[in-house]
Amino acid sequence: MTYGLETAEHPEQLRRVAIDPVSRVEGHGKVTILLDDDDKVRQVRLHVVEFRGFERFIQGRPYWEVPVMVQRLCGICPVSHHLAASKAMDAIVGTKRLTPTAEKVRRLMHYGQILQSHALHFFHLCSPDLLFGFASEVAKRNIVGVAAAHPETARRGVLLRRFGQEVIRVTAGKRIHGTGSIPGGVNKSVTREERDVLLADIYDMVAWSRDAVALVKQLHGQDPALYNSFGVFRSGMMSLVAPDGALDFYDGSLRARDESGAILFDHVNYREYASYIREEVKPWSYMKFPFLSSLGAEKGWYKVGPLARVQNCDHIASPLADAERREFVDYAGGSPIHAPLAYHWTRMIEMLHAAETIKDLLHDDDIMGDDLVSTGEHAREGIGVIEAPRGTLIHHYRVNDDDLVTMCNLIVSTTHNNQAMNEAIRHVAKRYLSGHRLTEGLLNHIEVAIRAFDPCLSCATHALGQMALELTLVGADGVELDQLARHGDGTVSRSPP
Amino acid sequence: MSILDIDERLFTLLDKVEFDRSPITDIKEVGECDVGIIEGGLCNAENVEVLREFRRRCKVLVALGACAINGGLPAQRNHLSLPLLLQEVYRSEPGAEYGLIPNDPELPLPLNKVHPLHEVVRIDHFIPGCPPSADAIWQVLTGLLEGREHPLDHSLIHFD
Amino acid sequence: MSATFLLDGRAIPFSEGQTILQAAVAAGAYIPHLCFHPDFKPHGSCKVCTVKVGGRQSASCTTAAAAGAVVESDTPAINAERLALVQMLFVEGNHFCPSCEKSGDCKLQATACDLGMVSPHFDHFFPDRPVDASHPDLLLDFNRCILCSLCVRASRDVDGKNAFALAGRGLRTRLIVNSRTGRLVDSDVSAGDRAVHVCPVGVILPKRRGFSVPLGRRVFDLKPISAVADASAQIEER
Repeated sequence: MTYGLETAEHPEQLRRVAIDPVSRVEGHGKVTILLDDDDKVRQVRLHVVEFRGFERFIQGRPYWEVPVMVQRLCGICPVSHHLAASKAMDAIVGTKRLTPTAEKVRRLMHYGQILQSHALHFFHLCSPDLLFGFASEVAKRNIVGVAAAHPETARRGVLLRRFGQEVIRVTAGKRIHGTGSIPGGVNKSVTREERDVLLADIYDMVAWSRDAVALVKQLHGQDPALYNSFGVFRSGMMSLVAPDGALDFYDGSLRARDESGAILFDHVNYREYASYIREEVKPWSYMKFPFLSSLGAEKGWYKVGPLARVQNCDHIASPLADAERREFVDYAGGSPIHAPLAYHWTRMIEMLHAAETIKDLLHDDDIMGDDLVSTGEHAREGIGVIEAPRGTLIHHYRVNDDDLVTMCNLIVSTTHNNQAMNEAIRHVAKRYLSGHRLTEGLLNHIEVAIRAFDPCLSCATHALGQMALELTLVGADGVELDQLARHGDGTVSRSPP
Repeated sequence: MSILDIDERLFTLLDKVEFDRSPITDIKEVGECDVGIIEGGLCNAENVEVLREFRRRCKVLVALGACAINGGLPAQRNHLSLPLLLQEVYRSEPGAEYGLIPNDPELPLPLNKVHPLHEVVRIDHFIPGCPPSADAIWQVLTGLLEGREHPLDHSLIHFD
Repeated sequence: MSATFLLDGRAIPFSEGQTILQAAVAAGAYIPHLCFHPDFKPHGSCKVCTVKVGGRQSASCTTAAAAGAVVESDTPAINAERLALVQMLFVEGNHFCPSCEKSGDCKLQATACDLGMVSPHFDHFFPDRPVDASHPDLLLDFNRCILCSLCVRASRDVDGKNAFALAGRGLRTRLIVNSRTGRLVDSDVSAGDRAVHVCPVGVILPKRRGFSVPLGRRVFDLKPISAVADASAQIEER
């Protein structure tokens, strides 16, 4: 455990190093590191610096507005919020069971999103680190560099994402922030023409997804020592699983395992989430820290997302992805894999599963049906849970007799991984930073660990292209010791005092 | 990130970029001006600082998307008092432990109200939409590269 | 219908007593407008329909059509003024199009797009206006009110109920419900009333129906408002 690195005893006597902002992730965050006189790392924190307050200002709004409004929290996986809120609202409008068309169109939308989000994360954001090396030349370490050195890889990444976005457009009405899912069902199904256009490309998508898994395996195989040890910490994991234990992104019940892989709870109705998960607030981050209430804040934190899901489930319902899952599980001889870099491997297995599932759904005529909505007796409370690209997403609402929201609680995917990401960067800082002089490549090691979790830290002020990044080392007396700057054009300069 | 919806047109952009060695410097040189594109509204003190720095560095500043242009979803909190909001989110919610409100000096202070960018600095071009369509983004980018006076057609203007 | 006037060079026929805008709408010619509706007595408050007649600017909805008059409407100068008026309406209320169920069917939004509005230009007021959801079938979201008074006119002139009114003066003008408590549930408004269908923006809405029309099938998704001849009627059918 490195829990101790969270808070140093006399921070005023330590030097502060900041990575601000963390780049090639969605949203705004920064890392601060405190070092003692011997350059030993004493404190490491990932701060999420955005505050939104959605839970409060949604109060007083009509419930049917929520699925459309809440997705504006995010520009990368808005469909997750759209659908989690819709599932909660299904309960409000008394839907016992969605029509087959509604359920399958929603699933198609969601799996399209998993595909596009995973492709974006791997190809556009992370592949430069993995293909060129963590400390490779900063000017090349981006999608531009990948497009130059590995044009076919970059092209497939872009086209995989485009396909996923097109699946979303067809089901939700537009690529980002559509309105397709409404309380009790959907407002449109898929036309034959729309389906045929997607069918023409889906086989390429399945093949390319399979190649993407092979690429990650190859990278893993080239440097297993690095991939298996980088930023490793042990923790429990949680995700939804289908009734038969299969991987399911859209629906299911909660299952959690401890760090050795033993089941902590299984097939828990997600409407009971509040009895199993609590959240801690720490003064240094606007993002909360969830934990399993049975284990307490100190021991109960866990991982969510691809690495958790692929190991948590009993099998995957599509054949190619399931074969890859078995190979992954066998890689460590059946004991759980905790390596953050294995997130990429499992993320690509999930992308393959998403592509296979989309293929099956496109062959199912139910997606073209016209029975779109089913409702029943209205209720006052609704809870919707879904597996978003980044992990379990919980939406919880109460509505009054006038149809207005009176309470909202969200636990978003990245929040579940808050403690996990902090642990990963503490391990990396200790291993690679302690006792060393600052380098840009070193700095990127911290970010590589964060990126593995594919965090979505909320959106604020963004720039086109690479953001300037500045690293400052300040002595205990407040004197600036060292400064390293990465400029907008990718160049790095050092300005010693 | 919505800019990535230009799909493979990204490579066309990168071709020009490669020609001039880096995405941002390339765009700057072709249009003979520095182009900065800002997404998101002003939610905290740090956002304001970053925006002012962009204004100083960029000859042309583009506000992209609803949040940048009118505050967007985060501005939906503007009719509420900030202390009340913090209280609600961190202390009153089900499942929240050890009720405290984050206050570390490392966290930028939230502004009382979320502001659109044009209320703080001069903005040269706006691309509305939540998010703007890829075609709108593409038209503005290529328009700026070609030095067009009005880079956005009315037909590409959407607010939702 | 022999008399005509010229609107931007196009001859528009009119009958005795018609205003410029009434005749233009009847002839399928577009002059931007918000508070005007062909079925109701013109109100002349939003000024978006301002045109230039004989060198003077006036609201075309309240200016009588005159034979041989030369009317300028679609000029850069007049459109710039219209744009400023629309921008002021946007900053005065809380018009958050991304989550408004009237998006795509909203005259304010469509007019702004048609005028080329890309930003609100002015500083936002961000007023605090709670919704009235007391009625079992209807929702009132005052955040989006542009004080066009169409609901006031429809309730008074068609429904005979006088359920709505504009209260206050100047900047404090606001839409109110004429009931003992000021709440909609205590008025005699019902879902079938004309007043609840004429709203050109997203203030008066049927409950539990939002977003049932998919993107692409909304009134202004395919054509700009200037090309939708019977926009008022189409919105009302929604």
